[in-house]
Amino acid sequence: MFDAFRTPDNVLVVGGSSDIGLEIAKALAKRGSSNFLLAGRNIDQMASCANDISSSSKSRCQVAVVHYDASHENSHGHLLAAAKDELKTLDYAIFAVGLLGDQLNDEKDPAKTKEILDINFTTQAMAILEVANYMKEQGFGHIVVISSVAGVRVRRSNFIYGAAKAGLDGFSMALGDALAGSGVGVTVVRPGFVKTKMTAHLSAAPLSTNAEAVAKATLKATDAEKSSVYVPFAIGIVAGIYRHLPRKIARRVPF
Amino acid sequence: MGVGNQTSFGGTNDDTLSFNGEAQRNVMTNELISGWGRTQWVRSQIERASTSEEVRDLVQSGQKRLIPRGLGRSYGDAAQLSGGISLLLDEPSTDPIITDGRTTLSAGYSLDNLLRRIVPKGYFVPVTPGTRYVTLGGALASDIHGKNHHLEGTFSRHIESFAIVTPTGTHLVTENSDPDLFNATAGGMGLTGIVTDMTMKLIPIESAYIKMETSRLRDLDETLATMAGSDHKFRYSVAWIDLMARGSAMGRSVLTRGDHALKADLSPQLAQDPFKYEAKALADAPSFIPNGLLNNLTVRAFNELWFRKAPSYRADEVSTIAAFFHPLDMVGKWNRIYGKKGFLQYQFVLPDGKEEVLREIIERLSGLQVASFLAVLKRFGPENDAFLSFPKPGWTLALDIPITNAEIGNLLDELDRMVLLAGGRIYLAKDSRMSKEVFEEMYPKLDRFKEVKARVDPNNVITSDIATRLSIC
Ligand SMILES: Cc1cc2nc3c(=O)[nH]c(=O)nc-3n(C[C@H](O)[C@H](O)[C@H](O)COP(=O)(O)OP(=O)(O)OC[C@H]3O[C@@H](n4cnc5c(N)ncnc54)[C@H](O)[C@@H]3O)c2cc1C
Ligand SMILES: NC(=O)c1ccc[n+]([C@@H]2O[C@H](COP(=O)([O-])OP(=O)(O)OC[C@H]3O[C@@H](n4cnc5c(N)ncnc54)[C@H](OP(=O)(O)O)[C@@H]3O)[C@@H](O)[C@H]2O)c1
Repeated sequence: MFDAFRTPDNVLVVGGSSDIGLEIAKALAKRGSSNFLLAGRNIDQMASCANDISSSSKSRCQVAVVHYDASHENSHGHLLAAAKDELKTLDYAIFAVGLLGDQLNDEKDPAKTKEILDINFTTQAMAILEVANYMKEQGFGHIVVISSVAGVRVRRSNFIYGAAKAGLDGFSMALGDALAGSGVGVTVVRPGFVKTKMTAHLSAAPLSTNAEAVAKATLKATDAEKSSVYVPFAIGIVAGIYRHLPRKIARRVPF
Repeated sequence: MGVGNQTSFGGTNDDTLSFNGEAQRNVMTNELISGWGRTQWVRSQIERASTSEEVRDLVQSGQKRLIPRGLGRSYGDAAQLSGGISLLLDEPSTDPIITDGRTTLSAGYSLDNLLRRIVPKGYFVPVTPGTRYVTLGGALASDIHGKNHHLEGTFSRHIESFAIVTPTGTHLVTENSDPDLFNATAGGMGLTGIVTDMTMKLIPIESAYIKMETSRLRDLDETLATMAGSDHKFRYSVAWIDLMARGSAMGRSVLTRGDHALKADLSPQLAQDPFKYEAKALADAPSFIPNGLLNNLTVRAFNELWFRKAPSYRADEVSTIAAFFHPLDMVGKWNRIYGKKGFLQYQFVLPDGKEEVLREIIERLSGLQVASFLAVLKRFGPENDAFLSFPKPGWTLALDIPITNAEIGNLLDELDRMVLLAGGRIYLAKDSRMSKEVFEEMYPKLDRFKEVKARVDPNNVITSDIATRLSIC
């Protein structure tokens, strides 16, 4: 259940080893969320995340870990089954799976292209729907989807990933519309460049931020039941302008 | 069923739900509902029943989980069940029959309706909360207290018997016939079953007025000393504390105390029609309030004005019942003024002898400078045997807090700990945020409650969001 401050009791993190997912979970634990389920591939990494979450918690807190590989068949079904088993109610679900890929190589490899699209979009859309339908039955819940500014206007430099994020973003925003009045909310989070293990090999882009800042902005947005939020705030303005630039000019902007 | 817009279904976001029960019967509605604080919105299936047979069919079919709901005046998530059924009892339009000062009524009866019908006949309810828009079922389930708790105890002490539908049977319960079920149901937040009817002892009155005394008290010391010293001389007593006042004025208050006016206390004009009962809602609060309207400055100005307006001492003033007991009911739907995120009410009790803890909590709250209008301070008398009943002898303070940021939640958690350590507790009917651990420690008779719950509802068919949140059952 949620309390009056919209702090959930039970939290599902899909992409349980994600840096951003971890920071959101820690921030919730600090506020009093007491049960977490981390779903992901890397059990060791998730075990260490579980420790981090417990030690951030302000009271008693339990963290469970379940194996979830988005590329496996019916992973969404297993995910929901695990959530039902481990959590008394499914209050708050964070979707933080992401695969950046390597654009210049991936665009020559249809199998790689498919993987990037599947992991960032198709399998997540299925998992999100599974959770959304369950929450709808339940009568309440909140879904957080980590999208990206990369999906606001898809760029040459990462158009496979960007297109998948654009799909995920549109899907999630409209799902939020579909759920209006159902007691279930959806918040789409659009970070710019975040220093995490996904981007460790890259040099930071302008307006870069960190996972704690993303977590803080996410909670603020879900507290206010906002449908979307840019992190940092300024990247939203940049994205808003960039998205309307004539294509000829946009093509020449160097990022 | 003669329910005006006011007594209509408190917690839905849809005004069209102020419906007439007859017209809507058999229409299944699925609505977004919340408590009075408008914080935890959930979808629930709204069902209505007008007879105990209808209630029994619904409860004992065991098809779907459910919780009874009255007028939705509990602040948090007590009267709702997400994904299940929230069951409302229709309010009958029958006139209460009073014999020997007792009356047997449907639990769906509202205090508003009841007062309109009994005050003109020279009777009053034994306990009334600060609003008359509550049902008798809700009053029993929260085991409510009024301004007379220091002398006359809670609502359930004036209930001789009640009929309850549980998943395992239908019972007529008195405190002697089944003390466990009686004491689990009074204050049991609807979790033992659906109370359909109850027999209540009314009190006779000589007029529809209150003879009232008002004192303006300059700080907390004076407030506490005055109340502890002379509350016992008055049937009704409550102090309104200005939480925005700091420094030497901290804890300043306006104390109003009174008794039912005798006929001889009335002016010749009022004495012509001593039982004339008027209780009107003047207007609804606007549904849209610009953010920030309720900021510290406006609240401080309001509190200042209100404090100065009160006489430093005035006795023998005559007030109407509505103005004395239910001043907030003058504005309909005032819970909307706190905006989209809603608000909570923090109410705790501290035992006698823990005045220093009370002082510290008031200091912390006024230091917080949340935009809170006024806090209500009152003295409680003896504790009763009901397992989850709130009052115990000492001081209770209640204040509204708008939901702004989660930091306030942390402060309240700290205050919970102070209350717990001092042997006090938090009121379930107002709660929307305490932790399970704190709840368990504050209510040591929870185990006894759970035993009864397991007897009458072994499969947990009757449950609610607060029951899940606090692991009550
Ligand atoms: C402005 C205001 C002032 C208040 N002042 C006071 C006060 O001075 N003292 C005080 O004690 N409280 C006070 N309250 C709280 C209020 O009295 C309680 O919350 C009361 O329970 C509300 O009654 P309701 O009919 O709205 O019930 P709801 O809020 O709808 O339900 C409350 C509980 O009662 C249960 N319930 C409802 N009907 C039945 C039934 N037929 N059988 C079994 N269980 C049932 C529900 O399941 C729920 O757990 C105040 C509230 C407001 C908004
Ligand atoms: N970092 C940024 O600059 C940035 C910017 C905008 C948006 N985002 C988005 O933010 C989210 C979180 O990313 P992050 O920055 O926190 O990076 P991260 O730590 O690398 O997190 C990505 C997560 O996705 C998981 N994942 C990848 N493929 C998976 C699969 N097949 N099955 C299950 N899990 C899989 C990873 O699990 P493993 O540990 O098992 O690989 C990892 O937990 C992602 O959606 C990302 O696209 C990031």
